[in-house]
Amino acid sequence: MNSAVCTVIGSCSLELRPAAQRAPGAVFRVTYAPMQVNGVHIDDTFAEAFGMRATRVLVTAHNLKWAYHAAIAATGFATSVIACGAEAGVERKLAASDTPDGRPGAAILLFAMSSKDLASQLQRRIGQCVMTCPTSAAFSGLDSAEKLPLGKALRYFGDGHQISKLIGGKRYWRVPVMDGEFLCEETTGMVRAVGGGNFLVLARDAGAALAGVEAAIEAMRKIPNVIMPFPGGVVRSGSKVGAKYKGMIASTNDAFCPTLRGAVKSELGPDIGCVMEIVIDGLSEADVRASMRAGMQAVCALGAARGIRRISAGNYGGKLGQFHFKLREIMKGTA
Amino acid sequence: MMRPLVFTQRYLPQQRVDCSPLVPNALAGKSVREVGALELQCGNRKLLVGELFRLSGEDAQSVVIECEGDKLERIGARMTGGSVRVQGDCGAYAGLQMRGGEIHVAGSTGAFAACQMRGGLLRIDDDAGDFLGAALPGETRGMAGGTVLVKGNVGERCGDRMRRGQILIEGHAGDYCAARMLAGTIAVMGSVGANLGFAMQRGSVLLRAQPLDIPPTFGDCGIHELAFLTLLFRAWSALPSRFAQFAAPARVRRIVGDLANDGKGEILLSTGR
Repeated sequence: MNSAVCTVIGSCSLELRPAAQRAPGAVFRVTYAPMQVNGVHIDDTFAEAFGMRATRVLVTAHNLKWAYHAAIAATGFATSVIACGAEAGVERKLAASDTPDGRPGAAILLFAMSSKDLASQLQRRIGQCVMTCPTSAAFSGLDSAEKLPLGKALRYFGDGHQISKLIGGKRYWRVPVMDGEFLCEETTGMVRAVGGGNFLVLARDAGAALAGVEAAIEAMRKIPNVIMPFPGGVVRSGSKVGAKYKGMIASTNDAFCPTLRGAVKSELGPDIGCVMEIVIDGLSEADVRASMRAGMQAVCALGAARGIRRISAGNYGGKLGQFHFKLREIMKGTA
Repeated sequence: MMRPLVFTQRYLPQQRVDCSPLVPNALAGKSVREVGALELQCGNRKLLVGELFRLSGEDAQSVVIECEGDKLERIGARMTGGSVRVQGDCGAYAGLQMRGGEIHVAGSTGAFAACQMRGGLLRIDDDAGDFLGAALPGETRGMAGGTVLVKGNVGERCGDRMRRGQILIEGHAGDYCAARMLAGTIAVMGSVGANLGFAMQRGSVLLRAQPLDIPPTFGDCGIHELAFLTLLFRAWSALPSRFAQFAAPARVRRIVGDLANDGKGEILLSTGR
């Protein structure tokens, strides 16, 4: 690039002329094009996401209250595969007319790094959290070629009294339990999915950041096929890869910690007092993209006037995850 | 548009005729002339299809058999696809070891209809004889898949040694219904005869009417709400049967047996919605 040096904040376009047309020592012409939506700066960066395996289970019960008890228990302690084994969440509420057994329910999505991990987590979570919940039943929520055992393994709890029923080409297991029968489809579908889509909301203070992420989560919950696995959909302890301590595979994302602004190579300016992250797992790249767009639009709708300063994203330099979600591309047409 | 391949019976044979070659999968690719030259076993001799039937049409995937009497046996046997419509009554073994497709009998069938059936749909507009969905004599497993719809009554030993699949009977069922049943589902709208579920091992029998007697070797497990019934009745809602008109019973009395056989089969008696 000759000897020209340019520092760019935000996106830029370089006009490169053929070498024959350039005079020695020519300086490139740089066009600086920052992206702002309602006064909120959108960083020229990308979220880096990974390939995962995912499944959906429909959990029903006598009423919505008990279906949610089961669904929430089954998706508990599933914020990150780093330590939980799976990432999971309630995708949406199901009306009685939308479920196989005509009872209200909830759709849950589970993600893991491998089909083996997913199968193990599924069996544990449905066995311990759904089968144990009064009046519950569990059905496959994905129709795909690859299958994971659902009732196939749990049926043995019936100790020989379990009953198989082949209905409409699908096998179900009726496991006798103390409130009647636990009805469970034999298998559920498994698909290749995307985990780790994310964006960061950088705000004036915690109140403004919370308002932003709450608005985002409310908008993102309307998008199908995605979950935001952290508490309330939001994570405040974003991480970087590695640590100074041996054995730690992840540690605090110090570049985005406002209290370290003056101590480390910080990504935060003096106007940022709080950063919160939303992590998205989706059944496809398009689902994650749609969810990120909905969330970022909701944050930007609050605008700078409500203390939202910037939106950024977490990545590892693009070398680890095969999915890159460029914030400005996603928000194109919104500015 | 191709016309169905129609076999119109010319006369009443003296002996029983094995009609198993007259199924879509066996007739595919054959001309009417070739079909007419096929041999059928009749008693201890053979006769030509063209001798017994007048043929018309050309679509072998849609076979119509216009028959009378009960000498035409094994109609639709080992059929794998397409459709066979029987105008009139047919003899024994209709749908024997059938694997797919649809047989519609606009009349009655003899004994052993749907015997060892593996898949597909058998519709019987009138009555079915004994051993509907049962095993061939000497065999250990009967019907192992598919659906049988009977608008009339069925004879004795319906579902004997039945292994899988479903039999829906809009009329009455004879004695020993579901005897030695291994699995699957039988539903009866009308009454059932004596010795219901004799030596039953597994499977479900759904009754809308209180049976005359429940064998003493069955145990009453009380009245329950069973979620799988909703799925079952929803699956039936698309069938050309009166069962399609009913919603699942909210509660059923569950009677389990045959305990004399260490059985875990169940009789589910509707107690209304």
